[in-house]
Amino acid sequence: MKRVSKPVFFITAIIILALSYFAIFGFTTQYGDIKSTVIKGVNDIRWGIDIKGGVEATFKPAGDVDATDEEMEAAKAVIETRLVSNNITDYELYADSASDRIIVRFPWKEDEANFDPEQAIDEIAATAQLTFRPGASYATTDVDANGQIVYKTPTGETEEVLMEGNNVESAQPVIDTQNAGNYNVALKLKDANVFKNITEKYLSQTVSIWMDDIMISQPRVDSVISNGDASITGTFTLQEATDLANKINAGALPFKLETSSFGTISPTLGASSLTAMAYAAVAAIILISLLMIIIFRLPGVIATIALLGQVGLMVATVSGFFPVFSSFTMTLPGIAGLILSIGMGVDANIITAERIREELRGGKTIDMAIAKGSKNSFSAIFDGNVTVIIVALILLLVFGPTNILSSIFGQSTTGTIYAFGYTLLMGVICNFVMGVFASRLMLKSISGFKIFRKKFLFGGVGK
Amino acid sequence: MNKTVETAPKRVIDFLSKKKIFFGISLAIFAIGIICNIIFGTQLDIQFTGGTIVKYSYTGQVNEEKLKEVAQNATPDNEITFSISKNMIAGGENTGDDYIVSLQFTGTDSISFEQQKAVTEALNKEFPDNGFEYSESTSVESSMGWKFFLKCIVAVAIACALMVLYVTFRFKKIGGLSAGMMALAALFHDVLIIYFLYVILRMPIDGNFIAVVLMILGYSLNDTIVIYDRIRENRKVLGGKTPLDQLVNQSLTQVIRRTILTSVSTLMAVACVYAVGIIFNLDSVTKFALPTMVGIVSGCYSSIAIAVPLWVTWVNNKKKKGKD
Repeated sequence: MKRVSKPVFFITAIIILALSYFAIFGFTTQYGDIKSTVIKGVNDIRWGIDIKGGVEATFKPAGDVDATDEEMEAAKAVIETRLVSNNITDYELYADSASDRIIVRFPWKEDEANFDPEQAIDEIAATAQLTFRPGASYATTDVDANGQIVYKTPTGETEEVLMEGNNVESAQPVIDTQNAGNYNVALKLKDANVFKNITEKYLSQTVSIWMDDIMISQPRVDSVISNGDASITGTFTLQEATDLANKINAGALPFKLETSSFGTISPTLGASSLTAMAYAAVAAIILISLLMIIIFRLPGVIATIALLGQVGLMVATVSGFFPVFSSFTMTLPGIAGLILSIGMGVDANIITAERIREELRGGKTIDMAIAKGSKNSFSAIFDGNVTVIIVALILLLVFGPTNILSSIFGQSTTGTIYAFGYTLLMGVICNFVMGVFASRLMLKSISGFKIFRKKFLFGGVGK
Repeated sequence: MNKTVETAPKRVIDFLSKKKIFFGISLAIFAIGIICNIIFGTQLDIQFTGGTIVKYSYTGQVNEEKLKEVAQNATPDNEITFSISKNMIAGGENTGDDYIVSLQFTGTDSISFEQQKAVTEALNKEFPDNGFEYSESTSVESSMGWKFFLKCIVAVAIACALMVLYVTFRFKKIGGLSAGMMALAALFHDVLIIYFLYVILRMPIDGNFIAVVLMILGYSLNDTIVIYDRIRENRKVLGGKTPLDQLVNQSLTQVIRRTILTSVSTLMAVACVYAVGIIFNLDSVTKFALPTMVGIVSGCYSSIAIAVPLWVTWVNNKKKKGKD
């Protein structure tokens, strides 16, 4: 066996323990009253609404309206602006054009015990009010999910309404023929005269466009438009132009949205179940560690360190500890995936330790037993984990953003099961890193210490 | 150097001779499950069938008949069933007199948002002293619920098919396809056990059921693979001449410690979750942990007592046919 040098054990163990410590507890600095999170820990995990409480709602067009894809996108744009204006930024939003449904999920607003979900849903689904107003004066500002400033509450001259959204027939993103790579938004109006009067009166002035309480655009009137074909020019990317067109179209939607299904879980329920789950996790780790150490002795101690490492690494992959993985919304199925993958990690250690024990009892030396045990147990661990990867990948593809079955079942069926696939896939990767690689490295290193070179400690029969 | 002497366990347990007992136990459980299923029927959660459940928390005593009447009058089109439970987790000012009433509106469609608000208002008007507070609700449209349910089943089916393919490919040496199919049979066994547990405890099939099934599928298949792996390895070590029964019995004897230890440690972990769920009266947690515990036991059992004996029977039958 290729010996692994003695310090490797300490280095690996310290790295694992440090990683787990920071992944679980995070690291925050306190400067006066400002607390800033340097490393994200368990407390920074975004919990799904099934755990922490929150609201889930599905909207559909009222009556027997068969909405077009553009109309659904426009309706989605309305809901998005509504969410922002309600200070809800941590939302998930899908439009399913196949079944004409819009699904929104958002967690319970923090520090708000009196949050009324019924009222919030009412507000979100209300018909959008698109207005054209003189000037661009606003009274308040807000910040949306992307960190952009949102101008709210028309004031002064802007309180006057020049034209409403029902006069807009359609809005579309168009390629700017003058500037390559730039896009504009083309407006088609129903009553050209109304718009002609506006553009005459406010020529060379700003006429802002508002949705409900939020200013979505503040173009300047460059010329009098009499044929009902207006254009908002500016420096837009295709995405920006599409967003703006969607919002304007939303104000001209020919249908109302109604709530077809919704669910809420109160935050009190969520918070106490989180504390409870934390107790359960700690108890489970202690029990498993005890079992491993009693049965496997030294490899059991190493399995315990690897188990801590795996828990830490798993937490890290969902909390946003690593900048490459953005934080992930954990749901109950996500916890199921976590339990399964940690179980698999423990299993990897058990399989290896069992094989080493077997080899020792067959009369091998410690070095040979570790080498042979590690080698022989790998194929079982590998095959077991790869089949689990298959399950995880299918779930990610089916229930994730790619949604490969959406043509059959519609896009709205993206569910919490996605989290199961995610934690499982991450878990299997952590499993190879901790349960296989780190654990074996530590085992081989520690077997170099003279005081540990006793067969008994590795599960062999005593002298 | 004779390797068999080194690795063969001292005492080989004859698992295969007990296969009739194993199959008998499983069939008996299935029989009980089927009978219960006929008597109780299958309950699907409103998550899949559509419908509405609204929960309110309140304090003090309320006339239950009156409560039902008020809620019913507010939604004349849907018949209401309801249950009241003690609220253990109402937060700091829990006086021990807090309750949660859960109103279930029958019918396959969700009741409208306006109707739900009407119920809230009616309750507060009728019982102003009890502080009726909207706690949680679920409301699903039937068509969407079904689609989600079907999609889950299709996803599980695809995953199973791919897993069998993988097993077929990786265990070519020991007759891959039959091994894969029997592993699949063991998975069906586990899903049925979990399903019957839901039926017997009269828990509605919901999203948790799907999550538990997926978890146990992965878990049980891993168990089966570890055993197959050992059979594959022993086949190489012992050569083709060793009788299949002896080979399998020896392999099972070698892995049984590992299988039990892994199951015990996972079971302990989930038992902690279950215990905490009971202590804190967290319905959602216990409903998840209990089927998981049963699934772990079933998954461990099905690998040793179902998948492998079935596979051996299959291979032996095929050999016999080949000789005829």
